[in-house]
Amino acid sequence: MVDAALSENLAATSRGAALRRFGRSDLRFRFFTGSAALLVVVIFAGLIATLVVGAWPAIKAFGFDFLVTSSWNPVTERFGAFPAIYGTVVSSAIAMLIALPIGIGIAIFLTELCPRSLKRPIGIAIELLAGIPSIVYGIWGLFVFVPYFQQTIQPRIIDAFANVPILSTLFAGPPFGVGIFTASLILSIMILPFISAVTRDVFETVPHTLKEAAYAIGCTTWEVMWNVVLPYSRSGVVGGAMLALGRALGETMAVTFVIGNAHHINSSLFSAGTTISATIASEFTEALGTLYIPALIELGLVLFGITFIVLAIAQLMLYRLNRLAGGGSK
Amino acid sequence: MNSMAPVDQNQKVRIDIHDLSFYYGAFKALKNVSLPLYDRKVTAFIGPSGCGKSTLLRVLNRIYELYPKQRAEGKVLLDGVNILEGKQDINLLRARVGMVFQKPTPFPMTIYDNIAYGIKLYERTRKSILDDRVEEALTRAALWNEVKGKLKESGLSLSGGQQQRLCIARTVATKPEVILLDEPCSALDPISTAKIEELIDELANEYTIVIVTHNMQQASRVSDHTAFMFLGELVEFGTTEKLFTAPQNKRTEEYITGRFG
Repeated sequence: MVDAALSENLAATSRGAALRRFGRSDLRFRFFTGSAALLVVVIFAGLIATLVVGAWPAIKAFGFDFLVTSSWNPVTERFGAFPAIYGTVVSSAIAMLIALPIGIGIAIFLTELCPRSLKRPIGIAIELLAGIPSIVYGIWGLFVFVPYFQQTIQPRIIDAFANVPILSTLFAGPPFGVGIFTASLILSIMILPFISAVTRDVFETVPHTLKEAAYAIGCTTWEVMWNVVLPYSRSGVVGGAMLALGRALGETMAVTFVIGNAHHINSSLFSAGTTISATIASEFTEALGTLYIPALIELGLVLFGITFIVLAIAQLMLYRLNRLAGGGSK
Repeated sequence: MNSMAPVDQNQKVRIDIHDLSFYYGAFKALKNVSLPLYDRKVTAFIGPSGCGKSTLLRVLNRIYELYPKQRAEGKVLLDGVNILEGKQDINLLRARVGMVFQKPTPFPMTIYDNIAYGIKLYERTRKSILDDRVEEALTRAALWNEVKGKLKESGLSLSGGQQQRLCIARTVATKPEVILLDEPCSALDPISTAKIEELIDELANEYTIVIVTHNMQQASRVSDHTAFMFLGELVEFGTTEKLFTAPQNKRTEEYITGRFG
């Protein structure tokens, strides 16, 4: 009896020791993960602070005008970011307009229609496309795509739309080859793999029975995809699109090669323009004077702000969509 | 083992399954099954897991075609026309032969749109008529009173039992001729199950219903005819009363008395 009680007690203490040991390792684990998470916040805050401090002279000198004026004159030290903001937003928007339908189309083909034997080769090709360094896109864009575009495609587009209102302004000549539209095309190729890879992955998570149910009431493949699969996986699709848009907004090298780097705004998409990141990358080395570098840093801050606004809009959109249709993958 | 089913001459046959075999790749999941499905009656398929009862159901609206390497051989005559022949309009077939799945599958849209969507696939109707059709379908599925105040809410906000009735309502709304139910109650609680069984009773006045179930009590409660399947073969087919009280085949008897399966 006594023996039994004793051994029970012993078991209890050794179990207690084990539990304490677990408790300690759990504490270490919590500390490690917690500080890793905190590190992100610290880096983020540090980055913002550095940008603000670096940009401060320009912010003080130009105020709000920086965002809405168009002169970019290093000699007189008048800097207005509007052409760069315009170029960034417009080139990314056009790239999204082109890449989103194609990317989702690829994802639909891969998940629903593609013969099994082609699935992997195409999937791998898309992932490889995502792995090509942006400088390679830039070189290819400038030396291969731009001449072809200038000589073959641009004149035809200009001719075709010459008498169409609005389009004739948007696609007015002369054909330079480089320009905002060219940058958009290159960007759309660059972000295509992000959209299609992410979208394919979220399409794969849609339950088979849900698709079967849609087919079972007589939906065509198009109706199943458009009305059931896409709404069900919209969070993921929007996520993929935002990842792509983020890349398009920040893309530097490839854009710098083909956009023309001109600080002015023209109603024609074929004219040369610039983007925020292209401006920073191409002008940093030659930036002299008291306000030039702060202005470039402020550009960086503005790009940061644009990305933030885009993300916020995406969240808002998603929230409203979820409230309307409900559920799906949250 | 005789897999030919006796045909009751007094009743109209809606679907005539004739010498049907089904393959998952090289595996033969259905072996020369023949049986009639009577018009406006409930037919239950019972049998242990893997016996082919769900497979048989999935042939009737050709949903199996979504997957490569699955194929059916033989004939399935719907009103005398073989639905397995390629020329059939598959979407039209699925409009005529509706299906409800084991797990509730509400579409990611509002309750109203879940019903209206199926209708709009086939008909262009005015909003007021559409409203009526939605109400009618929800009423038939015994769901109207529970959801009439929240038609604009997501179909996914409903409970499991309500979702399943929503799916039945969605199927009913497209005005099919045959309704296939693939273990419609297996994910539901007893109260929801009872509601759906009542609903099946009600729907049998107008539709030809085929139900796959693991639950023998359910088969005996809701069906007029029962087919017992085992290892891809139809072992016995007859009126539910006869099959459960005086089974002809020894295996059937063993199964319904719970000695195997």
